[in-house]
Amino acid sequence: MNRILWLVLTSFLVGGCATTGGASSFTNASDTTTVGENERRLWHEASGFDTTIERSGQIYDDRRATAYLQSVMDRLYPEFKGKIQVHIYDSTQLNAFALPNGSIYFNIGLLARIENEAQLATVLAHEAAHFIERHSFRQRVSAKNASAFAVSGIPFSSLAAISSVSGFSRDLETEADQKGYERLVKSGYDPRDAHKVFQTLANEVKALGTKEPYFFSSHPKLLERIEAYKELAATHKGGGRLGAEEYNRVMQPIRLDALRKDVGQDRLKSVILVMEDNNLRRYYPAAGYYYLGEAYTRRDQKNDAQKALQAFQTAEKLSPNFAPTYNRLGMHYMKTGNKIQALQYFNKYLRLAPSDARDRSYVQQYVSSLK
Amino acid sequence: MMIRKISALLVLVAAVSGCASKPYWTLTDDANKVAQSKSFEMTVPEGWNRTTAADTWDQLTIDDKVQTVLLERMAASRDGTGIHTITVTRRYPDTAFPAIKKKSRANMLPLEVADLYVSDLRKRSGLERLKVLSNKPAQVNGKPAYQLVMEFKNEDGLRVRIVSHGFVDNTGFYTINYRAPTLYYYERDYGDYAKLVRSFRLLKGAFDPPPKVPGWAKEFT
Repeated sequence: MNRILWLVLTSFLVGGCATTGGASSFTNASDTTTVGENERRLWHEASGFDTTIERSGQIYDDRRATAYLQSVMDRLYPEFKGKIQVHIYDSTQLNAFALPNGSIYFNIGLLARIENEAQLATVLAHEAAHFIERHSFRQRVSAKNASAFAVSGIPFSSLAAISSVSGFSRDLETEADQKGYERLVKSGYDPRDAHKVFQTLANEVKALGTKEPYFFSSHPKLLERIEAYKELAATHKGGGRLGAEEYNRVMQPIRLDALRKDVGQDRLKSVILVMEDNNLRRYYPAAGYYYLGEAYTRRDQKNDAQKALQAFQTAEKLSPNFAPTYNRLGMHYMKTGNKIQALQYFNKYLRLAPSDARDRSYVQQYVSSLK
Repeated sequence: MMIRKISALLVLVAAVSGCASKPYWTLTDDANKVAQSKSFEMTVPEGWNRTTAADTWDQLTIDDKVQTVLLERMAASRDGTGIHTITVTRRYPDTAFPAIKKKSRANMLPLEVADLYVSDLRKRSGLERLKVLSNKPAQVNGKPAYQLVMEFKNEDGLRVRIVSHGFVDNTGFYTINYRAPTLYYYERDYGDYAKLVRSFRLLKGAFDPPPKVPGWAKEFT
């Protein structure tokens, strides 16, 4: 079965090479210094795009998490150390992309959903394969892919860079799957979880009915690929690194921040989906219940006020030092006329919140008005 | 083909005349300093001029569809709307936050209103990455309000700042915004904006029900 699967994957690949000119892959970082004029131009464009992203403040500022992602990449591809640079991209859309020059961007939305380091390595290995196999150079860019960036609010000028976000052709994606999977196993990661990345994301696309640019989702054979990964992993003897503990330790603040940003961008369905699903929620900090309460408050449908109150109360119980919860509970009691309870919660907020907390001046005003 | 062209022209003429013939606000005093809308009035700062548009509606792209939203809006500029503007808007309760499809309620607290407003703005093209620099309580015409200071980079990479005062009551959601590049203009004219905020007054007309969508506006929905 394993052979048949690779045969299927290889058949896509051969078709791809025949139409794209078949540029040879890079074998290490020094190979990348001898590219031709056309490819150099493409890299120049990509570097310009790196600068645009940085200047527009879209690089997510978490040095610990960035260093962690880079360390996983260097473990996967030590021969490209210093050439493949991983960045965290400040977007809650579930996406990751590679630029032609070796820059790889990983959205916080996708980081929040991944469960362990092996799954992270699956995506990183796939994205690095796009660079190593020179897919941007091999693929003619279609202008229709521009829409992928339009919804991210990215000021873009480089069509070559855009292809990296919206996905490559089916044969190139298949090649990246194959090469990435091989490297994942070679680097000592347990591949049995690899398919879960696609499975989780496919489930979420279905549940949310999202139209966003989405890691792999534009490819009709997603379900086939999930099956292919599953069957390949089933032949694996077992063992290998999962890295769940370290991954989850590093990603806790990012998960909470992704929820906060989702609420701020009115992506309420996504917050409710995550925090109401036992499997997804178990990786999120308990303070995530606060954002569930916020999502229900903002959605404001039938029974949402009650659901919001329950979520805030759960947050209070499970994450008693998370100050914003006390502001919302105080607001609830103030609106329902329970001044004593409202004052208790507001005072607790003022005790716990940092001196420069965003809501502090509002809460001080509420307290004055209630006294 | 000709009939289609004539129809399009008629729609355009109707739209333009619809806007111009029924302004919701006028300059009421002899010195043309007080700008009055149907539901609010304010003193226009020295050197500032109202823009030609007397807006009673706005068009937004919501869920990939162009939608007409009724509102009352007055805008003024000193050096040109492309550079900086003060915009005063009343949105009716049912369409208070149109991009996120939320209504306003009179019992909303200023912090809730500010949060919804920011989410609504972030759904607009070009404002997806709007940053909130500060969000604090304020007062407008004696009512509890928010004061938001926000910033974004425009297509040319220029940092543009928006300061917004806003509040809700049972007649809708009111905002008084000043928008200018951080480079030179924002600081220079902030004082004028602050004066205008202090002069803002609600009028009796605010309690009238919102108007119906005019026939010509339906062409755009």
